[in-house]
Amino acid sequence: MRIWPRSLFGRLLGSATLTTIAALAFAAFAIGHMLERFVTRGLDQQLDAQVLVLARAVRPDGSLDRARAISLPAFEEQGSGWGWRVDSPTKRWAHGAAFAAPPERQPPAPPPDRGEGAAAGLRPHPAEGRDERGDHVHLRRLVVPSGAGPVLVTAGGPRRIAIAHLREAMAPLLGSLALLGGALALATILQLRLGLRPLRRLLAELGEVRAGRLRQISTDQPAEIAPLAAELNALIEQSEAGLAHARRHVSNLAHGLKTPLAALGVRLTEPGRDPDGSLADMVAQIDDRVRHHLGRARAAAPGGTQRARAELAPAITDLTAALERIHAERPIRVACEVAADLVVAVDPQDLDEMAGNLLDNAWRHARSAIRIAAQAMSGLVELSIEDDGRCLSDVAIGEALMPGRRLDERGDGHGFGLSIAQELAELNGGALSLDRSPVLAGLRVALTLPSPRSPRRLDRRPMVGRPGAGIPKTLCLLLPSG
Amino acid sequence: MRVLLVEDDAILSAGIARALRAERFAVDIAANGEDGGHLGATELYDAAVLDLGLPKRDGVSVLRDWRAADRRLPVLILTARDGWSEKVAGFKAGADDYLTKPFRMEELVMRLRALVRRAAGHAAPQITCGPLTFDAQLGQFELDGLPLRLTAFEWRVLSTLALRKEAVIERAELIERVYEGDADVDSNSIEVIIGRLRKKLDAAMIETVRGRGYRLTGGAA
Repeated sequence: MRIWPRSLFGRLLGSATLTTIAALAFAAFAIGHMLERFVTRGLDQQLDAQVLVLARAVRPDGSLDRARAISLPAFEEQGSGWGWRVDSPTKRWAHGAAFAAPPERQPPAPPPDRGEGAAAGLRPHPAEGRDERGDHVHLRRLVVPSGAGPVLVTAGGPRRIAIAHLREAMAPLLGSLALLGGALALATILQLRLGLRPLRRLLAELGEVRAGRLRQISTDQPAEIAPLAAELNALIEQSEAGLAHARRHVSNLAHGLKTPLAALGVRLTEPGRDPDGSLADMVAQIDDRVRHHLGRARAAAPGGTQRARAELAPAITDLTAALERIHAERPIRVACEVAADLVVAVDPQDLDEMAGNLLDNAWRHARSAIRIAAQAMSGLVELSIEDDGRCLSDVAIGEALMPGRRLDERGDGHGFGLSIAQELAELNGGALSLDRSPVLAGLRVALTLPSPRSPRRLDRRPMVGRPGAGIPKTLCLLLPSG
Repeated sequence: MRVLLVEDDAILSAGIARALRAERFAVDIAANGEDGGHLGATELYDAAVLDLGLPKRDGVSVLRDWRAADRRLPVLILTARDGWSEKVAGFKAGADDYLTKPFRMEELVMRLRALVRRAAGHAAPQITCGPLTFDAQLGQFELDGLPLRLTAFEWRVLSTLALRKEAVIERAELIERVYEGDADVDSNSIEVIIGRLRKKLDAAMIETVRGRGYRLTGGAA
């Protein structure tokens, strides 16, 4: 298991939690220490008072004036644990709880001479002792110099009082710190959700751009992401410019190849140049290859994200007008039922290419009638083109749309039109299907394309790097959705 | 029949012109959009073959200007651009037909003949005028069922008259439709051709309308 999480959320949460725990632990320690000192100081004050009283009762010769050795109220209580003792080199006086006084290890540093005399001006210093049961006793001691030597005045109070006080205070302290920690953690999680939301939004927008519903990412982003969004938009533009360049290149190639080919073809019609027509056949073959590959190149570089929106009715109207003139020698009745408001999420050039090829096919094969209809169905638009010519056999229909099959090899006239239309349809998230027309008894071609509002894509092949595919599940749960 | 060919590739245009002349068309060639636009706007043509990718002026804008100036000559666009969006744009600009390169010469000839025939108002390929039959699709004349042999100039005059049979064709118009732009036209040339035609047909079929021109008629006076 990795220690350092892969997600930003995990890392931020982890480091916030660690620092919070460290801060809270430090706070608990600091506050606890301060409390201890506070509580101890109260204890010390009481002990010091007793020690000072006793110190004044020490006669210069080292004996204790019992009349002046007054015990403070706390020390009078039986079994309270408070007690004092005065140890001179020769004698010992004690009162109250008994405890063993540790030897004075080092004489404390003499305080700076304030000129007030030997006893006064000295302050008691702390010491540790143990009572009969072996418990710790908190001591305060003063060393009073006398004629007989140093006299140790020690007063002690039970440590457990201090500890009890301390424990009383620590419990609620730790409790509130724990609550604080919990609240901070919750606040951190909420902040992280809020803070990382722009990233999620960015991801969604990128998905829309790839699907062709948006042209670019909005520039209204937080300061840290704004440069990233700008770079992404620059990348999108670069990619679009690349596509536009490729398309221009393709059409330039077309012009470049086709005119010399046409000149060659026309030259061959001169008498004597091509007696058996075999050279003209070769020219026709070259033309076929050129058309095939240019058609596939055009299909491979579709309009994409540029303007993925085209109105169906005007496109069909324009195409039928053009085809009526192209095939003016063969009068064909056209029945067109395409609602004026149908829109498809497809580049207009691609729509013209798909529908144009299919309609041209229909015109070539129809005997006298063609029927064009379109209907919208749940995020898709279906355009159907029927003719009353000879229909393909069921076997041929099944074979016609097999992927990779070069229909131009069939030579039955359906040629490139169907395969190009199918490729373009699939690239744009749609589909092409063939069957027999129930009304006209000829071929019926159904072209299904996504419509812009909540489009459904009929993806046959998985898109590489689908947006949203990379987010780990846990992050999905924690990030705001949609 | 006189055709304007606007194509910048010299080899291709020479080849097309040769092939069309072999089919007895008169052909004027323009190698760029400016010259082509000017010729189409000022001279009389039965049809134009227009390339789109032209120097100096794009073919589509030339076509648009022709239509805006009410030039009704039938236009066949001949281009390498074979996308359907481009075809639609060409038709919207006023084209009457569209052929992509490379093409079959026979198809170009047939389509041109069909354009001219339809522009003259004939839906059917066969035009009959008395004993004379003109197959506008194949460009052949038959008199009383037998093929009629004509020179290129005779054919051009007779086809112009036949397409608008029973109508008077101005002499000046005949000259324009029969001779290429840079031809040296004798003031008498048309009369000579008419004379030869009258010998081949029934003389009464071609009527002289004094001061105006000629008319092809069914023969009944």
